[in-house]
Amino acid sequence: MAFNVDDDATELLETYDFLMKFIIIGEAGTGKSCLLHQFTHNSFKDHSQHTIGVEFSSRTLKLGEKKIKLQLWDTAGQERFRSVTRSYYRGAAGAILVYDITSRESFANLSRWLTDARALGSASLVVILVGNKSDREEEREVEWSEASKWAADNDVHFLEASSLSGDNVEAPFLLAARSVLLAIEAGALDPEKAGSGVSYGDRALRRVNSSSRLSFGSLSGGRQKNTVKLKMKKWMPGSRCC
Amino acid sequence: MAATLHSDSASPQPRNPTSLRIYKILGTSFNDPGTQDALRTVSELYAPEALAARSSKEASTDATEDSPLQPHHEPPSLSSRVNSTSQDLTHGIEDIAAAARQNLRKDTEKRLTDTSRKYLTALGEINAKLELLQTHVNLMRTSCNEADQHLQASTDASKSMLEHASSLRNQRQQVEDRKSIVSLFISRFTLLDAEALALTSRDASVDETFFRAMDRAEQIRDDCRVLMSGEEGPSQAGLDIMAKMSSQIEQGYEKMLRWTAHAFRQMGRDSQLDVHPSLRAAVVRLRKRPELLHEVLGQLAEIRQDTVLSSFITALTRGGPSGLPRPIEIHAHDPLRYVGDMLAWVHQAIAAEREFLESLFDVKGDRRMVGATRSFAKAEATEEEGWLFEMMDAAVTKLCVPLKARVEQTIRSQQSGIVSYKVANLLQFYWITMSRTIGEEALLSKALRGLTDLAFTVFYDEVQAHAKTLTENMMDPNDTSVAPPYALLDHVQVLKEILNVYQSFLNEDQEDDQSHELVRILDIMVDSAVNMCTVGASDKMAIRPVWDGRVFVLNCLTYIQNVLEGYAFTGRKQTSLAETIKTHTGILLEDHYQNLMEDTGLKGFANVSSSYDESGPLSHQPGARAHEVQAYLHQFASWLSMVEIGHSPRLTRLTQHKLHSEIHEAALERLVEVYRQLCAEVRRPSHKYEAAATLLGSERPFGQVALLQQILGVADRADLKEGSSQ
Repeated sequence: MAFNVDDDATELLETYDFLMKFIIIGEAGTGKSCLLHQFTHNSFKDHSQHTIGVEFSSRTLKLGEKKIKLQLWDTAGQERFRSVTRSYYRGAAGAILVYDITSRESFANLSRWLTDARALGSASLVVILVGNKSDREEEREVEWSEASKWAADNDVHFLEASSLSGDNVEAPFLLAARSVLLAIEAGALDPEKAGSGVSYGDRALRRVNSSSRLSFGSLSGGRQKNTVKLKMKKWMPGSRCC
Repeated sequence: MAATLHSDSASPQPRNPTSLRIYKILGTSFNDPGTQDALRTVSELYAPEALAARSSKEASTDATEDSPLQPHHEPPSLSSRVNSTSQDLTHGIEDIAAAARQNLRKDTEKRLTDTSRKYLTALGEINAKLELLQTHVNLMRTSCNEADQHLQASTDASKSMLEHASSLRNQRQQVEDRKSIVSLFISRFTLLDAEALALTSRDASVDETFFRAMDRAEQIRDDCRVLMSGEEGPSQAGLDIMAKMSSQIEQGYEKMLRWTAHAFRQMGRDSQLDVHPSLRAAVVRLRKRPELLHEVLGQLAEIRQDTVLSSFITALTRGGPSGLPRPIEIHAHDPLRYVGDMLAWVHQAIAAEREFLESLFDVKGDRRMVGATRSFAKAEATEEEGWLFEMMDAAVTKLCVPLKARVEQTIRSQQSGIVSYKVANLLQFYWITMSRTIGEEALLSKALRGLTDLAFTVFYDEVQAHAKTLTENMMDPNDTSVAPPYALLDHVQVLKEILNVYQSFLNEDQEDDQSHELVRILDIMVDSAVNMCTVGASDKMAIRPVWDGRVFVLNCLTYIQNVLEGYAFTGRKQTSLAETIKTHTGILLEDHYQNLMEDTGLKGFANVSSSYDESGPLSHQPGARAHEVQAYLHQFASWLSMVEIGHSPRLTRLTQHKLHSEIHEAALERLVEVYRQLCAEVRRPSHKYEAAATLLGSERPFGQVALLQQILGVADRADLKEGSSQ
C-alpha cells in the first residue's frame, strides 16, 4: 500500500500553500539551465547544451511556515527562440533574470530582457536579477556594485550566485517567492484569479476553508519577518538592500 | 502380707478365708517377713495407742481405737494419755492385746464395713457423677451422632454440590475460553464499530482511520479466505464474515468513490492542482476496482476538460486579473505571437496537468526536464503511465477544438509566405516538443501535427502559387537585358527569407539537408525558378539572338546558385543546380568556341579537315589548298593581334566573371588544339603542302603552338601530356 508510515514525509513534499509560476530569462550561455538544475537537483549540470525553446521543472520550497511549489520555466536565451519564449512571460508571477558576471555583453543586454518581461508579464511581476558564475571571480567583467546600481535603478532585487558551486542558488527563488507572498498580502496579487501566476495549494485551502478565506496566516508576523530579514542579509554581501 | 491384710480389711465378706488364713498362719511359722509384716500391721493397729508413734498415726489409730475404746475410755487428753501410757505401758500392752484379740475381727470388720461404706458412699457419689457424666456423654454422643449424621448428610449433599460446582467451574472455564476465543475471533474477524462507521458513514471523512478500516476489512476477508480454504468445506461463519466484509469493503469503495468524485469536483472549481495525501491514497486504492477508478477518473477528466477549457478561454478573451496580462486574442493580428501565446499557454497547462496527475497517481516525478525525450515504449509503460497518458489526453480534448479552430483560422488567413512559414515552424516546434513530452500518440500531439501539416500545406500552396506567378508573369522576351529579371529577383528574395527562417528557426538538430520540408521548399522554389529561366531563355532566343538566351539562363542560374551558397544546408540542391549550370555552360562554351573559330578563320580549315575522307592529299581538297590555308592563317594572326584577347566581349554580359573566364579559357584551349591540328596536318608529307614550314611560319604564331599558348595565356595540356609520355 502506498498509504503508509512515510505519508508524513510525502505530505511534506507534496502539499503546498501556494503554487507560483516563475520564468528564467537572460542571454544565451549565462547558465540559466544550470542554475535551475542546481536548484532542482542540487547538482551541477555538466556539458549542458543550449536549451531548445522552453523547458519545465518544479520544486517545492519552504519559506517560514509556508510551503511553496514553484513551477519553473527555463527559457532558451538564443535570439532565434525569442518568439517562442516571449509567450511564457504571460502568467508568470516572477522572473529570474540571469546574466553572467564574466560577460559584459550579457549584462549590457539586461535592459532589453527587463523591458520584455515588464511588457509581456503581469503588472506585479517580480523580477530578481542574478549574476551567475560568481565562482569565476578572476574572470569577472561586471562588478557587483555596478549590477547592484542597475538593479536599484530598475527596481529589481539583485544577488550573485554560482550554479557550479551551488552558492546562493536558492536565494533568488526564495527572494522571489517572498516578494510574491508580500504582494499577495498587500493585495496586489490575488491567487484566486486565473493568470496571476499564483494559486492556492491544498494546504492553504484547507486552512482557509476552516476559517476565513482571507486570513491565510500572517506573513508579516514580527518574528517571521525577522528571520527572513536575517536571511536576506546573508544573501546580500553589501550593506545596502536594493 | 500387707496387701492381703489390706484386702482383708477392705472386704468383710471373705472373713473366713482370712480367718482360715490366720489360722493357717498361726499354725505355721510366721517368721517369714510377709507374715511379720502383716503382724506388724495388725499390731500397729492397736499398739500405736500406747506408743509414741501414736502421734504420727493419730488418725488411723483413732479410727481403729475409737470404737473399741469409746465405751471404756473417755477421750483422754493427750498429756494424760501420755502419762497413762508411760505409767501403764506394760499393763496397757496386755490390755491392748486382749482387746485386740477380742475385737480384732470385729474391729477389722467394722473398719472394713466403715471403709466399705465410705467406699460405697464415695463410689455412689462417683457413680452418680459417672452417671451424670454418662448422661452427658450420651447426650454428647447423640449430639455427635447427630452432628455426624448431619455432617454425613451435608457431606453427601455437598458432594453433589461440589461435583456440580466443579462441573460448573469447568463449564465456566470452557465458556471463558470460548469467550476469549470468540472475542479474539470477533476482534480478528469483525470490524470495530468505529471502523465500520468510518467505512460506511457519509459523515466520517476519508482519512487515515478510513484507510485503516479498509485495510482491516480486506485483511479479514483474506484471512477468512485462507481459513476456509483449509477447512473441509465453507463454514457458515466464514461465509457470513466474508459476505459482511465484502459488503463493507464495497461500501468503503463506494464511499471512497463518492468522496474522490467530490474532491475532484471541488478541485475543478478551485482550479488548483494540489493533491491531498488522502486523495492520492484513495486513488491508489481505487486501482483495485478498475471500474470504479475508471468511473471517477472519467468524472475527473470531464471536470479537468471543462476547467482547462474555461481557463483557456479566459486567457484568450479576458487575460489575467484586471486584464493583465492582456488577453491572448488582443494579439490576434500578429499571427506568430497569437499562435505562440496560445501554444505556450497550452504547454504550461499541460505541464501543470502532468504534475497534478503525477501527484495524483503517486508517480514519482523523474525530474526530467520537459524538453527531454520521454520514452513511450508500450512495454515499459506502467499502469500509472497508462492512466496518466489517458488523463492527459482527456484533459486537453476539449481544449483542442478552440485551439485548432483559432490556429487554423490564423494559418488560412495569412497572405505572406514567410509568416506562414514561421507559423508552420512554430507549430512544428511545439509538435516536436509535445511529442517528446506527452507522446506522439497523444491527442494534442496529433492535433499539433495536423496543424503543422496544415500550416505547411498552406505554406507550400503559397510557395507553389508564388512559383506559378513567376512562371506566368514572364518578362518581356524582347528585352535586351540578359540580367535576371525582377520577378526572379523577387522570387529568390522570398526563397532567401524562407531559408533564413529555416536556418534560424528551431531546427537546430536538422542541419543536414535531409529535411523533407527543406527539400520540398527548394524543389518548388528553385525548380520553378530554373524552369522560368530556361523557358524565358528559349523565348528570348526565339526573338533575340540565341546568344542572349544562353547568357540570360546562365545569369539567372548563377544568381540562384549564389544565393543558395549562403546556406550550407542547401548542398544537395546546389549540386543539382550546378549540374544544370554545367549543361548550360557547355552549350555556351560550344557557341563561344564556334564564334571564336569564325573570328579566327580557323573554322574553314576545320570544316574541311573534319569532312576529309583520305581520298588524296588534303592540299588538293577545296577549302584547304595552300593559299586558302594561308588566308586562314592570316585571319588568325590578325585576330591574335587584337587587344583584348584574354577576354571575350560577348562573354562580358555574363554577370559572373568567374564563369566568363572559365568559358573563355576553355574555348581558347580548344582553339589551340585546332591550331595544333592544323600545323600537324600541314606538316604531314602525305598532304603534300609545299613548303609547309614557310606556309606556317608566314603568320603568327609561326606554327609554334607554345607561342600561341603564351599569347593566349592558356596552359598547354598537350605539351604536358607529351612531356609526361616522354
